[in-house]
Amino acid sequence: MPYPCAASLAGRTVSLWLFVLTLVLLAGPDFLPSPTSAADKLIIYSGRAERLIKPVLDAFTAKTGIQVELLSSGTTELLNRLKAEGDRTPADIFITNDAGSLELARTAGLLRPLNMREIDRAIPQQYRAPDNSWVGLSGRFWIIVYNTTQVKPDQLRSLLDLADPKWKDKIAIPNSGSEYLQAGVSVIRATYGDERTKQFLVGLRDNGGNQVYQKSSQIVEAVAKGQVAIGIVNHYYVYRHLAMQPGAPIAVFMPDQQEGGMGSIMNVAGIGVIKQTKHLESAKLLVEFLVAQAGQKLFADLDKEYPLHSEVKADPALIERKSFRAAQVPLTRLAELREPTLTLIEQVGLR
Amino acid sequence: MITIRQQLSSPLQLVALASAGLIILPLGYVMAQALSVDAVVWGRLWATRIPELLFNTVSLAASVAVITLVLGVSTAWVVTRLEFPGRRFWEGALVLPLAMPTYVLAYLYSYLLGFGGPIEHLWQFVAGPQARLFSPHSYLGATIVMALDTFPFVYLLTRSALLNMNVSFEEVSRASGVSRLWTLWRVTLPLMRPSIVAGLALVILYVVSDFGAVSLLRYQTLTYAVFQQMTGRSDNSAASILSLFLVSLALLFLVTERWFRHRSRFYQTSGHYRSPQRHQCGWPGTVLATGYLSVILGAAFAIPAYLLVNWSFSMQAQATLDSRFMGFVSNSALLAAIAATGGVLIGLPLAYLASRRPSWLNLGCLQAAYAGYVLPGPVAALAVLVLFTKLVPILYGSVLVLIVAYVIHFLPAGLQSLEPALQQITPNLEEVSRSLGLNVRDTWRRVTLPLVRNGFIVAWVLMFLQTMKELPATLLLRPVGFDTLAIRVWLEASEEYYQLAAPAALLIVIVSLPALLLLVSKDWRAA
Repeated sequence: MPYPCAASLAGRTVSLWLFVLTLVLLAGPDFLPSPTSAADKLIIYSGRAERLIKPVLDAFTAKTGIQVELLSSGTTELLNRLKAEGDRTPADIFITNDAGSLELARTAGLLRPLNMREIDRAIPQQYRAPDNSWVGLSGRFWIIVYNTTQVKPDQLRSLLDLADPKWKDKIAIPNSGSEYLQAGVSVIRATYGDERTKQFLVGLRDNGGNQVYQKSSQIVEAVAKGQVAIGIVNHYYVYRHLAMQPGAPIAVFMPDQQEGGMGSIMNVAGIGVIKQTKHLESAKLLVEFLVAQAGQKLFADLDKEYPLHSEVKADPALIERKSFRAAQVPLTRLAELREPTLTLIEQVGLR
Repeated sequence: MITIRQQLSSPLQLVALASAGLIILPLGYVMAQALSVDAVVWGRLWATRIPELLFNTVSLAASVAVITLVLGVSTAWVVTRLEFPGRRFWEGALVLPLAMPTYVLAYLYSYLLGFGGPIEHLWQFVAGPQARLFSPHSYLGATIVMALDTFPFVYLLTRSALLNMNVSFEEVSRASGVSRLWTLWRVTLPLMRPSIVAGLALVILYVVSDFGAVSLLRYQTLTYAVFQQMTGRSDNSAASILSLFLVSLALLFLVTERWFRHRSRFYQTSGHYRSPQRHQCGWPGTVLATGYLSVILGAAFAIPAYLLVNWSFSMQAQATLDSRFMGFVSNSALLAAIAATGGVLIGLPLAYLASRRPSWLNLGCLQAAYAGYVLPGPVAALAVLVLFTKLVPILYGSVLVLIVAYVIHFLPAGLQSLEPALQQITPNLEEVSRSLGLNVRDTWRRVTLPLVRNGFIVAWVLMFLQTMKELPATLLLRPVGFDTLAIRVWLEASEEYYQLAAPAALLIVIVSLPALLLLVSKDWRAA
C-alpha cells in the first residue's frame, strides 16, 4: 500500500483522543439525563423555523435576562416527543406553526391552562383555546404565490382550481408532512367534504409531480426563479423574500375570495406552557411578552405575519387584513380533523 | 491453560451477551411492531407508497451501480496499468470524494446544477439562452451525486484486485495469441469480478441507506420516507412497515457483498508472482489519462471543495462563526467521542470472545453486532426510540438514547478493525506471559493491549468520524441544546442558505481528510 500506515498516525490520534477526552470531562455534567446546567434556562420546543422564532426569543432574553434553550424541529415530531417524554419532559414551552397541533397537545393533557388577563385582553377568543392552554401569537394565510412574469392574477381564483391540468408541472407544493398543508386540507374537507377534497388532492399531486418541497422558503425561491409559475405557501414567506430581494417577480394572491367561496385558509402559530414546567413564572413572562404589543410587533415586522393583537398593525406591504375573508372553520376543530385528513392524504398518495 | 481464558471470559460472556442484546433488541422490536400493525394500514401503504418507494430506491441503486462501475473500474485500471507523470498523485487523490458526506455534495450540486446555477449558465452559453438543464432535484440528480460520492468504493476494491492479480494469467492468454482487448474481456475482468461485485454491493448498500443526499435532492426513497413518516405522523406504524422493507433490502445486498468478498479470496493466488507491468504512456496518453481523471475528480471533489472554501469565507458565513458555532463544534466532538468510546468498549468483548472462544454463541453475538449495517440512520433512530419509550422511558430524550443509536449504527465499522486486531495475536503469547509469572491483569496490560492498540485506535477514529457526520439519527434524537455541525449543514442547506451551511460543511470535510488515510490503509469499507 502506498499510503502511510496506521501506526504513523497513531501518535496524532492519541493526542486527538486526549483532547477530546478532556472536552468530555469538562462538559461531563451536561450529559446526565436531567440537564443540571440548563436548569435555569427556559427550554423551548419549537416547530417553527429557527430563523423566524430565534430573533423574537433573543429580544425576550435581552429584555428580561431570562436565558432560553431552543430545540427546533418539526411540529409533529416534537408533539410525538412531548407525548413520549410525558412527565419527565425537560420542556417548559411548546411553540408551533399550527393551531391543530397545539389543540392535539391540549387534548393529550400536555399543556397547562393559563389564567392571565394579559392574554384575554390581547388575543381575540377565536385564536386561543377556551382555557388558554394554548394561545395564538400570529396569523398566517395559505396563499398562492405566483411569478408575475408568467401568470396574471386574473388566471387565479380558488385553491381548488389548482387541480386543473393546465397547471401541470407549473406548481410547487409542500410535502405531505407539513402541518400547514394538513391544516389547509382539513379546512377544505370541512368546507367541501371528502369527495371534492380528494379530487383536489389528486389533481395537486399530478400537477406538482416532482416539485414537492420540504420548506416553504424553497417554494418561494422556485417561483421567484421562474422554475415554476405558482406555488402554495404561507403568505409571510413571500413577503420575507421580497423584503430581502425587493425586485423579485413574485406576488401574493389571496385565494377563494370569490362570491360564495370559502375564504382564505387561516392558521395561527402559537404557544403553550407545558404542564410539568418548573419555570412557570418565566414561562408566563414569555407568553406575556409575546402577546403584548411589543412582542406582536416583532412578529409583524420581522416575520411579516398578521399580528393577532387588535391594536398592532401588520406590515404595510401585506394585503390589508380587512380586505379579505378568512375561511369559517374554527381553529380548535383542526385537531379532530387531522387524523381523517392524514388518511385521505395517504390514500391519494401525496408525497 | 483453559482456566486463564475461563477466568477472563465468564464475566465477559455476560457483557458480550448483553451488548449483542442491546444491538439486536431494537431491531427486533421495530420488526415486531411492523408485523403487528393493522392490516388496513399495510393495505393502504401497499396501495399507495410502497411500490413507488421500492421502485425509486431500487432504480436509484441500479443506476448509481452502473455509473460507479464504469468510473471505479476505469479509474482503477488507469492508475494500475498505465504509467504517466502524476500517477501516484491520482492514485491517492481518487479516494478524496469519500471525505465528503453525501449531504454536503448534494447541497453543493443543488446549487451547481440548480435552476439558474453556474452549470446552467454555461449550458445556455452553448445552447442558447432558453436552454434548460435537468433539475438536480430528480432521479438523475440524485444518481449523479450518489455516484460521484461512492465510486471510490469500487475504485479501491478494483485497484487492489488489479494490483494483487497474478499477471501470469494474462501473459498466458497473450502468449497464446489472444488480442489485448479480448484478454481484458475474457481473462482480466472475470478475475476481478468478485471484487467488483463486492464493491458494487457496498455502493448499493450505501445508496439504499443514504438519507442526506436524497432528502436535500427531494428524491423519495425508502430511507427518506421512513424519516418523513416519523416526523409527519403521530404514530410510527407506517414508519416501521417501511423500515421492514428497507432492512430486508439492505440485508439482501449485505449478504451479496459478503458472499462475493469471500469468493474473491479464492480468485487471488498467493505465493510468488510478478506485479503487472505498467504501460508507459506517451504524451497523448498522459494528456488523455490526466484529463479523464481531472474531470472525474473535479466533479466529485475539487469543484465542490473550492465552492465550500469560497462560501466559508463569504461575509455571511463569517458572521455565523460565533460562540454558538463553537458550541456546535464541541457538541459534534463530544457526541462523537462518547459514541466512539462506547463502541470500542462494547465491541471489544464481542470481538475478543469471537476470536478466542469461537463457540456458536460468541460468533452469533459478533454477527448480531453487524446488524448496524442494515439499519439506515432513520431506522436505527426509530428502533432506539421505540425501545426506550417502551422499556426505559425515563431515559428517553437524554443523550444516552442518541449514543445508543450511534453505537448500534456504527459498531460494524469499528468491529471491522477490532476483529483483525484481536485475531492477529495468538493465545500462545498470553500463555507464555502467564507461565513466566505475570497475572491475568498484567498479561492483558503488558502483552495483549500493546498488540491490539493500533486496531483500537483505528476503530475509535472510524466510529468518531462516522458519528460526527451522522445526520438522520441526530436530527431525530438530539436532546435540547445538542445541535451538531451536521445538523447545521442540513438545516441551512435545506432552506437553500448555501453560504451559511458552508463553514460547518467545510469543517466536517477537513476533519475527515486525515482520517481518510486511516480508512484507506485499514478499513475504507466503513467510510
